[in-house]
Amino acid sequence: MAKEEQFDFVIVGGGPNGVALASYLGKCGASVCVLEERTEAGGSVDNVEPFPGVRLTPHAMYMYSGPAPGFEQLELWKYGFRMDWSPMSENIMSQKDAGVKVSDGIASISEKDMMGWAKISGVSTEKPYIKELLRSIFWTPPHPAEVEITPDNIPYMQVYKQHDPSIWTEELLDMTMFDLMDEYLETEPFKVMQAAVAWYSGAAGHWEGVAIPALGCDITLTLYSGLSVPRGGMHDYFHAIIRSAIANGVIIRTCCPVDEIIVENGVAKGVRLRDTATTDENTIWAKKAVISAVDVRQTFVDLIGPSHVGASLLRKVKDISLKGGSIWVSHLITKEPLRPREKFKTASMSEPGEVGGPFPCDHRDIYYEHVADVDGRKGIPSVPPERLMWLATQSKRFSDAESQCTVPGWYLESPYYVLVPPPEYEQDDPITLKNEDFRGVRPNTVDAQKEEINAYMRKAFSLVLENLDDDLIMHLANTPYESEFRNTGLIGGTWCGTRHCDDQWGENRPVPELARYRTPIDGLYLCNQTSCHPGGLALMAVPYNLMHILIEDGLVEPGDWWYASPWYIPESGKIPANKNGR
Amino acid sequence: MPIKPDFLFGKPFDEFPDVTEWDVIVLGAGPNGLIAAAYLAKAGAKVCLVERRYEIGGGLATDEVLFPGYYSNNHAIYHMMVDYMPVMQDFDIGKYGFQWIKPNPQTAAVFNDGQALVLSHMVEDTKDSITKFSFKDAVTYGRLMRSWKKIVAEILGPATYLPPMLPIEITMAMQKTKTGQEMLELVEESALDIINNNFENDRVKATLLYNCCIWGLDPRETGVGMFVALYSDRMTNKCYCMGGSHKFAAALAREILSNGGIIIDACEATKITMEGGRVSGIETTEGRILKAKTIMSTLDPHTTFLDLLGKENMPGDLTEAIEGWKYDKWSYFTVHVATKEAPRYNCDDPWANDAFMNLVGVEGTDQLLAHWDNVIAGKIDPNNFAGHATCESLLDPHLVHSPYGGHVSFFQMHAPYDIEGGWDKMGPELEAAILEKWQKAAPNMTRDNIIRTTHETPVGIERRFPNMRKGGIKHGDYKPIQLGCFRPNQECSSSATPIPGLYTCGASNYPGGAVLGGPGYIGANKVAEDMGLTKWWKPTRRMEQYVETYLDSPLGGLG
Repeated sequence: MAKEEQFDFVIVGGGPNGVALASYLGKCGASVCVLEERTEAGGSVDNVEPFPGVRLTPHAMYMYSGPAPGFEQLELWKYGFRMDWSPMSENIMSQKDAGVKVSDGIASISEKDMMGWAKISGVSTEKPYIKELLRSIFWTPPHPAEVEITPDNIPYMQVYKQHDPSIWTEELLDMTMFDLMDEYLETEPFKVMQAAVAWYSGAAGHWEGVAIPALGCDITLTLYSGLSVPRGGMHDYFHAIIRSAIANGVIIRTCCPVDEIIVENGVAKGVRLRDTATTDENTIWAKKAVISAVDVRQTFVDLIGPSHVGASLLRKVKDISLKGGSIWVSHLITKEPLRPREKFKTASMSEPGEVGGPFPCDHRDIYYEHVADVDGRKGIPSVPPERLMWLATQSKRFSDAESQCTVPGWYLESPYYVLVPPPEYEQDDPITLKNEDFRGVRPNTVDAQKEEINAYMRKAFSLVLENLDDDLIMHLANTPYESEFRNTGLIGGTWCGTRHCDDQWGENRPVPELARYRTPIDGLYLCNQTSCHPGGLALMAVPYNLMHILIEDGLVEPGDWWYASPWYIPESGKIPANKNGR
Repeated sequence: MPIKPDFLFGKPFDEFPDVTEWDVIVLGAGPNGLIAAAYLAKAGAKVCLVERRYEIGGGLATDEVLFPGYYSNNHAIYHMMVDYMPVMQDFDIGKYGFQWIKPNPQTAAVFNDGQALVLSHMVEDTKDSITKFSFKDAVTYGRLMRSWKKIVAEILGPATYLPPMLPIEITMAMQKTKTGQEMLELVEESALDIINNNFENDRVKATLLYNCCIWGLDPRETGVGMFVALYSDRMTNKCYCMGGSHKFAAALAREILSNGGIIIDACEATKITMEGGRVSGIETTEGRILKAKTIMSTLDPHTTFLDLLGKENMPGDLTEAIEGWKYDKWSYFTVHVATKEAPRYNCDDPWANDAFMNLVGVEGTDQLLAHWDNVIAGKIDPNNFAGHATCESLLDPHLVHSPYGGHVSFFQMHAPYDIEGGWDKMGPELEAAILEKWQKAAPNMTRDNIIRTTHETPVGIERRFPNMRKGGIKHGDYKPIQLGCFRPNQECSSSATPIPGLYTCGASNYPGGAVLGGPGYIGANKVAEDMGLTKWWKPTRRMEQYVETYLDSPLGGLG
């Protein structure tokens, strides 16, 4: 017998955004149910141990979320959250010694590079303001539609004006990250390296008008979070979030795919579960709101459907760009530790396991060529391996107690990232479209090419690594197709779902009508990286920002632990989320 | 102390403190650790559950071993004691989207000529299948199962969750009923004797023998005959946890957390510290200190006592007992496969293709014993071995997340930890031999059908779960002097140990491993009593009946 249940809030999707929001709501005293389709919550913040003693991170690898208010507000420290701090984090400016990898070796980083980088990152002033800068970029909700956006009210512009007025110019708002770096930094390779890091982190060096958000994607990782990994991997960061949620009374159910968001008279009332859900209740009603913490397209196209969404909005949602970040993730198991070639050895990178960062960073032309390959065309990558811009993580990043590989005689370097063109969907092929198993993908094509593409990538990696070919035991990879099927929110294997370009940033993300997390359907709010400012990277930012809106709408009233973003502007006629000095 | 970053801009955020204080520390977040912590957290104790691995669950693991996109239960998959576990009545874990299923066709042996014998949950269905081999055996099976089910329901099932008794006490208690006397008669015999003395058809015998020796009972060992009743009943009551075994662990973890307990993973204890003759806490690899006057260890005896506590803190006779502990006689070798189609067995009973478990390579008792003798002697004959297989995705739609679709299955067999030739060489060879044998029974298991394979050796088991020393899934052999009140030894089998404040409650404690949940439950009871906590739970109805019928006084305050 189908039974029914009721909660204040029903959250569809148990990734880091959905669960962090659940924890916030639970802490406000609301009853909350999170429904996750996979067997394990966490979305792309995930660890796996495919072979005994080999721990891989298929997606999110590094901490980006250091400045998040969630650490304090949800008290993650209580739930066992710890870092495996990289030795480099003891002196973050020692990144200078590593230099930058270019085709013929290591390019050095100049004093001016470091000074300029520190200046625009807010760490060169007497009182560093990097935390405020990053919070103003990510941890603040977009302004209400009624507010005209000006250089004076954009949060990060306010921060620069307050802390280092010498940086503030109106031109900042039209710049690309390259423009910004051309003004403050010196050497080309260092600039290319930062642009590549930003590009792999969802923003990019060449997008107009998002110089500061792109810089933010870079420095929240490289400076604020010390290029470090949580102890136990990113999934253990998620553990702290989910455990805080459970302690706050949230009910989290896995293996519970949602089939439909129930809409009656333009109001979201609850959800209906798919018949495979492992629960006796197949309808769950929401007294206050349904929160969609899954991809924005899945939300409107699959879970709600055209009968409740206007054609114009539906079209806009379908048009949200998928470009800008399908990642092919390699995990290399070898007989010997991977060593850098002689010309890549430096004072701080001569040991095996120390090859990290992007390569080759000679010149932005290489970056542009790779961009053109990824975003300008379809199919398999076509740039020659020596101009493929890849990004490696360092096994040395992990302390001995947290080694990723404990198999005697095996060494693991993982993950190595390569941005590739998004997968091709055979949208017009009725057979593959109808086949539930394949959902429009031609698997045999990918299967046939996977080994070939892996080999091409190894050729690129081998330009820096001297013993990859000789010592390779196994090259595991999760391709964009495979990533999407592991995590249905990573459409096309795009990690950040939608790019952080000016058309899809802040007040425009994902489209202006949806930018403040509300939807045309009353009682339905959005809480996913593809649907909301500021997007991905497991920042706990979307849930924090959305909290402002739920408070505005009178759905929750947090206790004294809550504080609003200082740059938040309340919407007129709503309950301010920052009243009583919160 | 852990590395502390010295950022230019101050402390980035708070982390779990370097020194913390708890009422109870539980070491190891396997099923027993989770159960113990869940009961005690709900009783109001400030509990910290500490796990070495990055993920909780221990053997309750559902991992992406066929990476990427295919999830498998790489350890526990068959849960035999769901009908008896007190946790099922004491916690409402269904609210976390948690469900068990118990398929009726439980185990189907597929023989080399295409005959199949299906052991079902419903006894008459099993008898129907045995009839094909021997009408007499079918009748015998029905008669024995009637008696054995009673033994399990009245005695072995409930006693799993009560502290152990001395053999002499058991003998006296069992005299009180006919069922008890029937159990005593069984105990003296070996599994092989019991099967040989009752059944005539060799295929029936071999199937039933495999069924009761699958989790490590030596078929020739005497004094443990009650396991024949226990496994014959319980192995036809296997349950599967939808979404994979790890969901059971997750549900228990949610009970701990919602009652104020804390779980810390990726945190390995390196030392149990003592103060004033009592345990005082643990130290971890990363240099953190967790203090508590009560420590419950679910780890194997070697790790708990010799590695963490140290001989200097143990009485000499305890050291001797721990050093004499014997690990399991055999371990397991498992091949996991992702295939386009689920295996289709070519046999005379269609139920074999719906069965939870398929036996392949079990042909007769002599052949089976020869295989087991090989295993105990440290080898496997690629031309004569037997194993059990399950296609998990036929039961569970939640395991496959790959663009290539398909199914996940595995084939598992008994295997020695130390194998002739070494596992690096034998692993791939045996994988090939298994795939060949499997394809003979299920012709569609061709190379073309197989998307990906991987295998896990006994060495791999130990690497993934270091407390399963020598690949021993039960943390120690099942033999009379390591069972009952002797598990792990007479001083520690009821959970308290000679070291004040230290309790043991893992698979090496009475009643043993295989996700019984007994040690954790018994340990929680003992600690609750010793700490003076109010028990919010009551024993199950069957436990109460058992205590009333067989015991003169309520045991351990459970009555």
